[in-house]
Amino acid sequence: MISSDVIRGYNDTMILYMLLDGESYGYEISKNIRKLSEEKYIMKETTLYSAFTRLEKNGYIDSFYLDETFGKRRTYYRITPQGLAYYRAKCEEWQITQEVINKFIKEL
Amino acid sequence: MDTIIGYLNNMFGSLPKTEQMAMLKQELLGNMEEKYYELKHEGKSENEAVGIVISEFGNIDELVSELGLGEVRKEEGLSMLPMLDELAVEGFIAAKKRSGLLVGWGVGLIMLGAALLILISGLGENGFMGNVFSEDAMSMIGLIPLLLLLGPAIALFIYSGTKMEKYKYMESGFSLPYPLEAYIEQRQSAFAATYTLSLIMGVCLCVLSPIAIFVSSAFGDEYISYGVAVLLIIVAVAVFLFVYYGNIRGTYQRLLKTGDFSEEKQEEKKEEDRIVGAVAAIIWPLVTCVFLVSGFVFDQWEINWIVFPLTGILFGVFSSVYNMFKKKDAA
Repeated sequence: MISSDVIRGYNDTMILYMLLDGESYGYEISKNIRKLSEEKYIMKETTLYSAFTRLEKNGYIDSFYLDETFGKRRTYYRITPQGLAYYRAKCEEWQITQEVINKFIKEL
Repeated sequence: MDTIIGYLNNMFGSLPKTEQMAMLKQELLGNMEEKYYELKHEGKSENEAVGIVISEFGNIDELVSELGLGEVRKEEGLSMLPMLDELAVEGFIAAKKRSGLLVGWGVGLIMLGAALLILISGLGENGFMGNVFSEDAMSMIGLIPLLLLLGPAIALFIYSGTKMEKYKYMESGFSLPYPLEAYIEQRQSAFAATYTLSLIMGVCLCVLSPIAIFVSSAFGDEYISYGVAVLLIIVAVAVFLFVYYGNIRGTYQRLLKTGDFSEEKQEEKKEEDRIVGAVAAIIWPLVTCVFLVSGFVFDQWEINWIVFPLTGILFGVFSSVYNMFKKKDAA
């Protein structure tokens, strides 16, 4: 299990990645993150929703409602052009971060 | 699923009740619900599923700070009621249990005293001690154990009362963190069977206690007082069961604010107590006046004591009729 401290800066990136292929909603996103990370990372409910709030405030995603069966309403999120640009920037940042950190990692 | 809803309600309990919050809560509930049903579908047990969903909820403070609610929460969000922690709750349960035990013993001692009084005066009537004490002296001697036991009993009542003084603040309200509430609920349901058993045993003892009188009267009328003494001791055991286990039950109800301690019941009770108390404050001194006047002026001592049980019964009728009408009005 990865500590939430280490991964904090990249929660937003992960959520944006999940939205690259199209709109999605809270549980689906967290389920896919868990699946993709091979159960090594489980994003907490509150982490997910504070990220949604933050991303939406910054204009990286927008939300809309879709009515599900049985009259339940669900909030869906989709990525905006600014969000896409932000995602690319974060990817570059990670490449560099990874390169740098890797220089300090060796097997003992 | 109720546990999850309860947990979420508790998490949001101290947050401002805005539309945005209500929607966020609904959204989170929807997610948790879906996760819960999926876990159940995978074959997880109820407890496992609820446990996983709650453990993956996270920390509400994270959301609070992101939503910029930090300040609001500090100002008006958190209620002023003292929050009980596990230590306080454990302490309260233990203290209540101990005080119930003490009160139970106290009541038991008084009943034992009454039983001894009847037993000794019975011995006197039958002339067992005739060569040492007269019959009248025996009924006086019977009072000695009663008074001797009354002392420690009252000491027990007072002592247990002072022990509970520490928890007096709980009367003006308190709040419980959710996990603790769930834990107490669990203990309460674990205790339910014990309580029912104690109730059944107590009632059975009361129902069977007159047998002591029948058996003793079979030996002859002069033995009836021994039967009464045995009856009182059996009833004392039953009363101890009622007091001790009833008190434990009351402790859980008080902590969970259910049963007699639910908020509406408390309100009702306050109102009732006020009216009934006011009437009692007039009636009882009046009855005492009647008792004294009829005794001193008309010398009716041998019969006038009847005003007390009579008033007691009539007053009981009054207060239950009053409560009935009160409830009718409310309904």
